[in-house]
Amino acid sequence: MRRLREVVIAGVGLTRFDIYDGEKGHVFKEGYELGMEAVLNALQEADMEWKHIQAAFCGTVYQNTGSGHQAVDQIGMTGIPIVNVENACSSGASAFRLAYQSIATELYDIVLAFGYEKMPRGFIKSTAWPIWQRQMGFNVQPANYAKGAIRYMEETGATEEDFARVTVKNRKNGVLNPYARFQKEVSMEEVLSSRMVAKPMRLLHCCPLADGGAAIILCSKDKLKLKGKVITVAASILNSGVYGSETGGTGTTYGGGSVRIHEDLVELSAKQAWEMSGYGPEDMDVVEAYDTMAPGELWDIEKLGFCKKGEAPGLLQEGALDINGRLPVNTDGGLMSRGHPLGATASAQIIEIYKQLRGEAGLRQVPIDPKIGLAHSMGAGPNSAITILKR
Amino acid sequence: MPGGSKKIPVKEGLWTVPSSPHEKPQLIGSRCHLCGEVFFPKKASGMCTHCQSKNLEEIKLSRNGKVYSFTVVMQRPPEYYKGPVPYAEGFVELPEGVRVETLFTECNFDDLKVGMDVEMVIERLHEDEEGSEIMVFKFRPVTPS
Repeated sequence: MRRLREVVIAGVGLTRFDIYDGEKGHVFKEGYELGMEAVLNALQEADMEWKHIQAAFCGTVYQNTGSGHQAVDQIGMTGIPIVNVENACSSGASAFRLAYQSIATELYDIVLAFGYEKMPRGFIKSTAWPIWQRQMGFNVQPANYAKGAIRYMEETGATEEDFARVTVKNRKNGVLNPYARFQKEVSMEEVLSSRMVAKPMRLLHCCPLADGGAAIILCSKDKLKLKGKVITVAASILNSGVYGSETGGTGTTYGGGSVRIHEDLVELSAKQAWEMSGYGPEDMDVVEAYDTMAPGELWDIEKLGFCKKGEAPGLLQEGALDINGRLPVNTDGGLMSRGHPLGATASAQIIEIYKQLRGEAGLRQVPIDPKIGLAHSMGAGPNSAITILKR
Repeated sequence: MPGGSKKIPVKEGLWTVPSSPHEKPQLIGSRCHLCGEVFFPKKASGMCTHCQSKNLEEIKLSRNGKVYSFTVVMQRPPEYYKGPVPYAEGFVELPEGVRVETLFTECNFDDLKVGMDVEMVIERLHEDEEGSEIMVFKFRPVTPS
């Protein structure tokens, strides 16, 4: 790869992830208002004005055409390019990567990456399948993770209790995150007695839906105005599928072949992220793993290289993945607590790493003074995106 | 066909239609002549997505395989699926090496196991508005005899 210019984070902004439907005591907000709010918060933190932004990339999945334009239109059209990015649950990270590369390659100096979503209710309508497969009922996301979970249990001896522990840990962390949809703990018993959605996945093994926005402004170091610790992008990786990989452990073979090739998509992203950053798993002080469904966090930790296959449940049980553990994972409560506004989720993961490295994570600040952290998101398609930040 | 309703496959070209009562339907896949990779369903591009060779031949796949993974969906999917709920679906690995995503039938949901021997059948999924039966492939446990 050619030499790339150093890119730093200029500022970040979030809305609270919640339900904004105007019912049952919830405030009503349009999706684009959530995007706009996140962008304005990021501008304020960055101590920049809107006219400084030279390009904008916006991740959404279920919004209308020109979703980024609608949010920006509330702030002001300035002739800059706005590009809308739909990469399923990795949309926010994909927008981040586009912003990163446009600064690293010296096309621009200050670029906005954001994501937002006002989610439809109920099961996520997974449209990444041909119609006949949807007619056969193959497009239920919890079911796809369930099939991965059955394999994972078969191959590692993991149990439903191991999956429940992910939810319990992340919901506990979420109590300390004022931007999370759920800020209330759940017990093992509550998880294991919640209704079965797709065997062996129960309701509380699934992340909740939420609406929300998340924005990150990136810039070259000379344009940085933000005070405090400087956070640099050490790696920004996106892989959209690799032949023969069982993505997300779901058993789905993208390519549909006789699967004699076993290059795993997440392992490939991790390999590239370590190469690009010059770091390895042992260097990471804080991690955002992809817990859209509880078991996902376990196999994510393993595939990213933090431990061997089948060892994550043990790490979780001994407390190593807790906020004060040796590898804090999903300190902001993860998708389990934040909820999952598809376009904003991956941006929010990156923001949590940023806050932890700056020492601004409040009550959930990891105590070891973290210097390097990693965020990983998955998305239907498939997509796998890794961002490593350092200070 | 008095009393019989029209049968419509969920998609054309997924399985063979036997010409005699002695034959049984088989799923239609494709195999790459160059690298040997096997696909189901057959590739619309006519191209091997492993090695990009255009040298694919259509093949009939084995009717028997083993359960690779499964789940039982307890809640009605948001759209399109009109069959019964709960339903069992998962992957069956065929001797050719290809994993086929499928519905399961004629089984007690609690008895589904990884590695279980299953065979392919063509069955009704649901009835459409005109009273036609929408047909799909499913796999069912091979009863030991």
